[in-house]
Order: sequence, then structure tokens, then C-alpha cells
Amino acid sequence: MKIKKLRSKIAIAASLALSAGLVATGLPSAQAAGLQPTAAQLAAWKGKEITYYFYNDSQAELDTTKSQIADFEKLTGAKVKLDVIPYTSLDTQLQARLAAGNAPDVARLNNPGLYIKDSLDLEKYLGRKYAAEFLKGSTLQVTHPTTKKLIGVPYDLTVNGPFINVDMFKKAGVAVPTSWNWTELVAAGKKVQKATGSEYAFAIDKSGHRVSTAMSHFGAYMVDKNQRNVLPTSKFRAEKAIKIITDLYKADQAPRDLWIGTGTKYSSPTAIFLAQQTPIFFSGNWQVAALAKDAKFDFAAVPNPKELNGGGWPGGKFLVAFNASKTPDLAAYFLYFLADTAQMEQMDKNAFWLPTRADLVAQGVKYATRTADMGVFQADAAKTPAAAYGIQSVPTLTGNIYNKLRDLMTEVIAGKITAKQAVQTQIDFIDAQLATLRK
Amino acid sequence: MPYLFVAPNMLIFITFIIWPAIRGFQISFYDSIDGRTFTPVGTGNYKAIFGDPTVAEVAKNTAIYVVFYVIISTLLSIAFALIVNEQKFAKGFFRAILFLPVMLSPIVVGLIWNDVLDRKVGPLNALLQAIGGGSPGWLVEPKLGMMAVIFVGVWVHLGFYSIILLAGLQGIDRSLLEAAAMDGATRPQIIRTIILPLLKPTTLVILILATIHGFQSFDFIYTLTGGGPLGATTLIVQYIYDRAFQTPIQYGLGSAAGVILFMIIFAFTALNFLLGKKREAI
Repeated sequence: MKIKKLRSKIAIAASLALSAGLVATGLPSAQAAGLQPTAAQLAAWKGKEITYYFYNDSQAELDTTKSQIADFEKLTGAKVKLDVIPYTSLDTQLQARLAAGNAPDVARLNNPGLYIKDSLDLEKYLGRKYAAEFLKGSTLQVTHPTTKKLIGVPYDLTVNGPFINVDMFKKAGVAVPTSWNWTELVAAGKKVQKATGSEYAFAIDKSGHRVSTAMSHFGAYMVDKNQRNVLPTSKFRAEKAIKIITDLYKADQAPRDLWIGTGTKYSSPTAIFLAQQTPIFFSGNWQVAALAKDAKFDFAAVPNPKELNGGGWPGGKFLVAFNASKTPDLAAYFLYFLADTAQMEQMDKNAFWLPTRADLVAQGVKYATRTADMGVFQADAAKTPAAAYGIQSVPTLTGNIYNKLRDLMTEVIAGKITAKQAVQTQIDFIDAQLATLRK
Repeated sequence: MPYLFVAPNMLIFITFIIWPAIRGFQISFYDSIDGRTFTPVGTGNYKAIFGDPTVAEVAKNTAIYVVFYVIISTLLSIAFALIVNEQKFAKGFFRAILFLPVMLSPIVVGLIWNDVLDRKVGPLNALLQAIGGGSPGWLVEPKLGMMAVIFVGVWVHLGFYSIILLAGLQGIDRSLLEAAAMDGATRPQIIRTIILPLLKPTTLVILILATIHGFQSFDFIYTLTGGGPLGATTLIVQYIYDRAFQTPIQYGLGSAAGVILFMIIFAFTALNFLLGKKREAI
């Protein structure tokens, strides 16, 4: 208990020292003023309450957030009300709250493009150079499309990739892959399925974002950094990627019910992987904490398959403060506090997140466990092709484009359309979406 | 004075029903992606709905669901009410069992049946396989998906309708039934010629309620199938929900669809009511 208290005090001291240190290193005065609360601010914040709209993939994220909030409250004298929201209704509830004039002060989001008009201009509170503290490119989705100002903070970097059930692979006599392509992945999955009698050979999250990873491996992309539809130039590659996945589902070697039987809802085969019904589960690094806690077998993250490209697909979660906040400086400071080096490192370590801060990436995060798994994701992040970041140039449309791809995949799995038709429909849809930007 | 007594209720009704309905109607003439900025589009949202190719499919799904749901739930609730009314043993227990699904949260209902109807590991298919019935894709095949949601919809509301009908049955003058029995009428004759005609007003209430419930069905379906497989169980309320709350968000379009749903339910309710009145007059 004493150690915990001591740690907490050290964390607060470190945070203050960091703020002071940044001031001392000669950062612009506007930034310095934003980083270190003044005595007047602390007096004004005392007893004030802000709301943090939050969702979590694992218990570790929630526990760490609660502990960091407690530290923040001690530091500022303000109160933070934590609203924990299920991922599936994250945007629905937030849209309703914003429309009803009941905006939270800060939110953790995965689609910040939807809230551009509502987001607080962080540069006003945290300085112009604050964005430079994060990985280049990671702030693209939280940069205002016209003012080019920072309106959010990349909180964690996510990398898509496969997990395997090591026990099942061993039982089937299939070596744990250190590199493979999609044909080898499919063959390995089928071999393990046959040897172990598992229900399926493979499973992937019902998500257009995850399918985009396979498309990237085959060299197919949807939107480039100049907001152009580039799918027509790589449609045959996209067809290959879609076909290799949907063929598994059509043959009942992947859980088709999860795609076809869940309508427009997001669904993940995490429970299927945990029940050892599939030896391969394609998802991403955010699953590590939950799998580490719940898996009753040996599992491992393995490299993404490589065709023309390897690597993952960029994604992540963002912290956004809202301009409707009654205490915008406090909201901005809370966001700054959560994304500072000490807090981010703590969260990354506890929840197996990948850092977005340039300093943390440079020094490396030392995970207490699952080091090899996190190493695989870090390596795949580095191998992710630059073209994969192109879609982030249209932050307001990414959700629509991914959802359409998900729905078309479902239709291919159900045999309603072919992969070729799916790609053509997606091309037309992207054209129509991009046209809305030019209206 | 009487207005004072109804005032609290009216205040709640106006605040939570009338005012949002008026606002919804107003919003149906605007386009809004965030609920804060509204661009007037005239009747554009209504035109967009009627020009949307998915609407025909949604209308067909809704019509199939409502017709089967109303017929099956009305017939079954009459049958169950008659059975429960005649029961001598463990009356309370069976009534409680019948009413139990009504008390469950629709989300729980969806989750329970999602597990029961699972193609690979669901208990229903396990049972079917044991007797050589195969493993139908209840939530994967479009036709079976519709059958599944109709079944679950009936299961959820059956107890509620049966209890209303039971009250109607108990309101029937027993001397009429005893007289008919003394005159030698058989049980089916008594049901056909005395009970069912006297139960007509209550049955009309059930028909109206079931029609409204049928058109409004959403929550348990969304949890059970999400509107799938391939949109086969997407009914009009989910269409509204998807337009209003799923990206790309179109509050105006969602509101316009809500207005259309209101008009459909209103028309059916009025028709039911008028037909009932006409029959009563005859």
C-alpha cells in the first residue's frame, strides 16, 4: 500500500517535473503556459468537475485510467467523472449527447473525424509545437482539415495482425510461423483445424478496417494521401485479398455466422479464439491484454502475412477535448496529462498499448510480460507501407468507407455477390463519398 | 379542477411524446449530420426514402413480420388464455411462466435466443442433430432468420396478450356458459359461438397492440440478428436507427422515416378500430 502511495507521489512529481522541465527547455511561452497550471488555474480548477467519456478493450485499461484519474485529481484538485461506454455504442451515444448539449469534456475515440466541428483547438492551450511530441503521421486524423490545427491527441497506436493458438499448432505439428504469406496462413489454419478437430481454421474481426490489412498485403488501397480513390488501380489485388478470406467463410472454415448473422453490428471472434474453436485469429494488438487475462492456452502474436507488402494497418485511439467544455483549459490539461510520457508509458505497459509519443517510441516501452507479442506488433508497425496511411487523409469518411467494405464482404460471404462485384461497388461508393467533400 | 388532475400526466406526455414528435416532424425537412446544424431540404428526405432501393426490402420485411407476428400472437394468446382460464392445478405458477418473457429486457431476450439458435453450438441444433434434423442456419439463412425473429417476437409478447385476454375471459358472464352447457352445447361450440364473440372487444385491443408492437419491433431483433442475415430482418425501426445513428449520420432522413412509420401505424390502428366498431354495430 505504501509502495503504491509512493509510486503515485512519484508519478505526480514526475509529471510536474516533466512540465517544469519542458518549460525549462525553452519551449514557446504559449506552450509552457498551457503545460504547467498556474496557481490561478489551480485555484480556479479546485472542486470543478469534468467528464471523461471512455471505452476500454480490457480491464487493465480501465484500472489504469482510474488510477491516473486519481493522480490527476490530487494534482489539480479537480474532479473527473468517468463515463464508461460500450465500444458498440461509442459514437451513437456521443452524437446524441452532443446534439442534446450534454457534451463530455474529454473523450477517448476511434473515429475523431466525426467530431471535427466539436473538438477543442488544442494549440490554444497546449501550444503549436505540441503535435510534434507525437509520431509523424499519427496526428493526421486529429488535424483540422482546413485550419490544420491540432484538435486531438493520438493516444495509442494500433496495429492489426494475427494471433495463433500455439498449443493447437504444436498439437498439429505445425511450426509457429516467423514469416508467411496468405496461402501459407490458410494452409496452416486448415492443417491445424484438421489435426485438432477445431470448428474453424481462421477468424477475423467483422471490420472493414481489418480487411484493409489483407488488401494492403496484396498492394490494394482505397484512398491516397491526396484524397483520391486509388482502388480502381489496384482492384485485381483487392479481389484477391477479399477472395482468400471469403473463401474460408464460404467453406465454413471460418465463423460465417459472425459476419452474416450480426447485421450491421461490429462483432469480434475473440470468444471463438478463447474457446479454442479456431487456431488463427486476425485482430490487433489491443487484444493482447484481454487474451493474456482470459486465454487458458498458450497464444502468440505472429507477423502479418507478406505478399507484395507485409506489416499491419494503422489505427488507433484518440483523446479529444470538446469546445463545449465549461472549463476548456482543464479539459485540455487533462488530455495533456493522460498523454504525457509518464502516464502513456504506464498505460502502454499495463494495457499492452503501442505508444504514439515520439520520445517513448525512441526509448522503447519495456513490457513486463508478452514482450515477444508486442515486439511482433512493433516490428509490423515499422513495416506498414506508407500508402496504408492514405485513407487517414479523409478522416470524416473513414468510418463510412470501412463500414461499406464490411457490408460488401458480408454479401460475398453469403454468396450474394462476387469479390469482383464487391470491389466495383466499393469503388463507386468511394467515388460518391469523396464527391461529398467537394460539394 | 379535472384539468389540474390530468396536468402532471399531460406535462410528461407533452414533454416526452408530443414535443419530440413535433420536432421530429420539423427535422424531417432538414439535413443534419450532427443534430446541431440543420440545412433545409424541403421534401428531399421523403423523396430520398422512396428512391432508396433498400426501402422496398425493408417494407417487405416489415410487412411479412407484422402480418405473421399479429396473426400468430393473437391466435396463440387466445389459445393460451383459454387453457390458463380452465386450469385448476398450479394456476399461478403457469401464469407466471407465461408472463416471464415479458419481464425480460429485450437485450437479454436477444442474447438468450442468439445462443439458443447458434448454428454450430446452439442447444436447439444440438437437439435437432440428435434426432437427425441437421443444423439449420437460423441466424444465417435469410428465410430462417425471419422465422426466428417472428418466433422470438411472439414468445416475448405472448404472456402479455394472454393475460389481457384472460381478464376478458373472466369478465364473461358464467351463467351464459352454464346455460349453453345445460342445453347440450359441446366445448368447441361454446368457444366458437359464445366465448369468441364476447371476447371480440378484447381481441380488437390485442390486434391493435400487436400491430403497434409489430411495427415498433427493434431492440431484441437488433441484438439477435442486427438486421441480418443480409438485411432479411431489417425492419422499419432499424432502418430509422441506421439512418439516424450509424455513419453516415442523417438525422433528417431518420426523422422522415419516423414520420412515415407514425403514419403507417396510425392508419392501421384507425382501420382496426373502425372495422371493430363496424362489426360491433352489425
